Amino acid sequence: MEAIKLVRQSLFHPFDFFYDIQFEKRAKLINALAIMALACVARIVSLMLSGFAFRTREAVDVSIPIEILWVLIPWVTWAISNWAVSTIIDGEGKFKDILISSSYVYLPYILLIIPVSLLSNLLTLKEISIYGGIYYFMYGWMAVMLFLQVMIIHDFEFGKTVGIILLSILGMIIMWLIIVMIYGLVNQAIVFVINIMKEIRYRS
Amino acid sequence: MRSIRSYTRILLLVCAMALVLPAAAYAKSPYTGYIYNSQDDDKPALNGYLYGDSFDGYDMTSGSFKAPEDLFVTPDDTLYVVDSGNNRVVHMDPDTGAVFTIYGDKEGKGALNGPKGIFVAKDNSVYVADTGNKRIVVFKPEGAFDREYGLPQSELIGTDFNYSPAKLIVDKRGYMFVSNEGSTLGLMQIRPDGSFAGFYGANHVPFSMTRVIVKLIASKEQRDQLASEKPPEFSNLFQDNEGFIYTTSLGIRFNQVKRLSAVGVDTLNSGTHRYGDYYMKSVDGEFEHETIVDVSVSKDGFITALDQTNGELYQYDKLGNLLFIFGGRGNQNGLFKTATSVAETSDGAIYVADRERSRIDRFYPTPFADKVHEASILYVDGKYNDAMKPWQEVLQMDSTYDMAYTAIGKAYYRQHKYKEAMTYFKLGLNRGGYSDAMFEYRKVYIKAHFGTIMTIVIICFILLQVLLRYRRKRKIAKKRSEFLGTVKGGGVSGSH
Repeated sequence: MEAIKLVRQSLFHPFDFFYDIQFEKRAKLINALAIMALACVARIVSLMLSGFAFRTREAVDVSIPIEILWVLIPWVTWAISNWAVSTIIDGEGKFKDILISSSYVYLPYILLIIPVSLLSNLLTLKEISIYGGIYYFMYGWMAVMLFLQVMIIHDFEFGKTVGIILLSILGMIIMWLIIVMIYGLVNQAIVFVINIMKEIRYRS
Repeated sequence: MRSIRSYTRILLLVCAMALVLPAAAYAKSPYTGYIYNSQDDDKPALNGYLYGDSFDGYDMTSGSFKAPEDLFVTPDDTLYVVDSGNNRVVHMDPDTGAVFTIYGDKEGKGALNGPKGIFVAKDNSVYVADTGNKRIVVFKPEGAFDREYGLPQSELIGTDFNYSPAKLIVDKRGYMFVSNEGSTLGLMQIRPDGSFAGFYGANHVPFSMTRVIVKLIASKEQRDQLASEKPPEFSNLFQDNEGFIYTTSLGIRFNQVKRLSAVGVDTLNSGTHRYGDYYMKSVDGEFEHETIVDVSVSKDGFITALDQTNGELYQYDKLGNLLFIFGGRGNQNGLFKTATSVAETSDGAIYVADRERSRIDRFYPTPFADKVHEASILYVDGKYNDAMKPWQEVLQMDSTYDMAYTAIGKAYYRQHKYKEAMTYFKLGLNRGGYSDAMFEYRKVYIKAHFGTIMTIVIICFILLQVLLRYRRKRKIAKKRSEFLGTVKGGGVSGSH
């Protein structure tokens, strides 16, 4: 019952919710993790359930670990980037608050993605606007929640919030680039070591 | 005793039968068949064409070929080979190897210099694009020089035009359509009297985002230094038996093969259609670019295009659906070094000229290809129901042949069997077809189960109403009790 109450408040009264979350010790990491787990499950289930006409990928093309990463990486990098940016520009949010409150942004996704996928089994490509409309609504809702989350957690005004969000997105992209770069370099280094070992083995 | 004798008899019979049965000719093909499915992924498929034999002229009266550049098949299935390295054209029977006539004199007006293209008109006069001599030569059927066409005089052509005719066809009126090497203006149309009738069917410069961005950023000097954008050049042309002109173009990734109407408009591709290989391999970090050098169209409308870069041949149906891919680059029989031309006889054999190896390779369709052709002919004519059975036989041979599923789906759709159509479209990964079939199926389903569906909707509606009413009541009751509570509290405090 407690969980349902939290969900309802966050979805329909996000102002109060994001305000309360900082003060009343309601920010529990376990809740955030549960939400993210649900989001992962919802994503995978929706990929499996969506109608053939709307499926952009075949089942064989879907890799569950990668789909999970697609959910988790934006969340974690957003929290880090947003925290880093807002600490410089006197935001009030603590990292834990940001991490936990931004997980609630995924609630509309969890709520809507599976019904949309089920509905796509009954729709044809002629009614793609219905399908797309629900998607837009869902992402719009998420965007509004994200915006309110940043605004309330850090106690910013409107204009500043927009700026912080843009900077955070930039920070996210930089982080991804660095991760890809490091991955590439480490990969090369490992291949190099392996090759040397092979060479030594051949020659000895 | 008797039984042993009968056993021996059976054994003998079996042995005799084995002798009578033709030994299956088995040769491993140097290339493995594959096809691009509806998702543009390359998937293994049965081979449509297999290497049969080659001829290089050694054992023919003509002597060996040298760097053949072009092939032409007449309606009576004789073959003209442009033997460019020997500066001649050989007219031969591909089945017997008999040589009929050799065109191209030792000296005089009929001497050829590196000819690259040929066309044989209805009256059997032979038009040769004599590229090295910058002219078109016409020979009489028996081999004598008839007439020649140099660069026609016209204001449209301009003074710095480099005339280098490479390939040509002649239409029913006797007009020549010439593809000029390195020219981007289109096909040259030359009248029978040698005058110029204009350029025909020129390609357009494809839109490129990079170019727009570069133009925005670059200064005027930089812009002048950039190579000017030229429309793609035609590499070859072919006239089918209905008189349509097919062209191949270089330097583009889409619509490399076109079928031009009388006014020069492409009637084969609506939108962009990709021919040739989708995933060219990269050499030294750079992706190779396809070079579609020739196209041949069979009497049934099957289009076979030849890519010189990877030596592969691509066969399409009349609508541009990919049917088979075969050939490749290499040294084995069935692969090419530098393939220059493709031609097809009416029995379905495909001839490919290889410039570097100086020989002509012949490919025969496999039984699988025959079946696909049979089905495809019916299919492209819209006879989906007749095509269903051959397509099903195609699937028995190769169950991953996506096009067959789509074709059968269309047949079922036309028969109003929408559920079956959905199944087949799904198997063929055809989302558009699936969606259309489902649209009809949904209509039929709703009509058939109207009563049930309406009952469910009404019950849901009533349940929702009841639930809402119940919640409202509870809310009101809650409010009332709260209100009463405050009134009571107020009353108590007020009494003091």
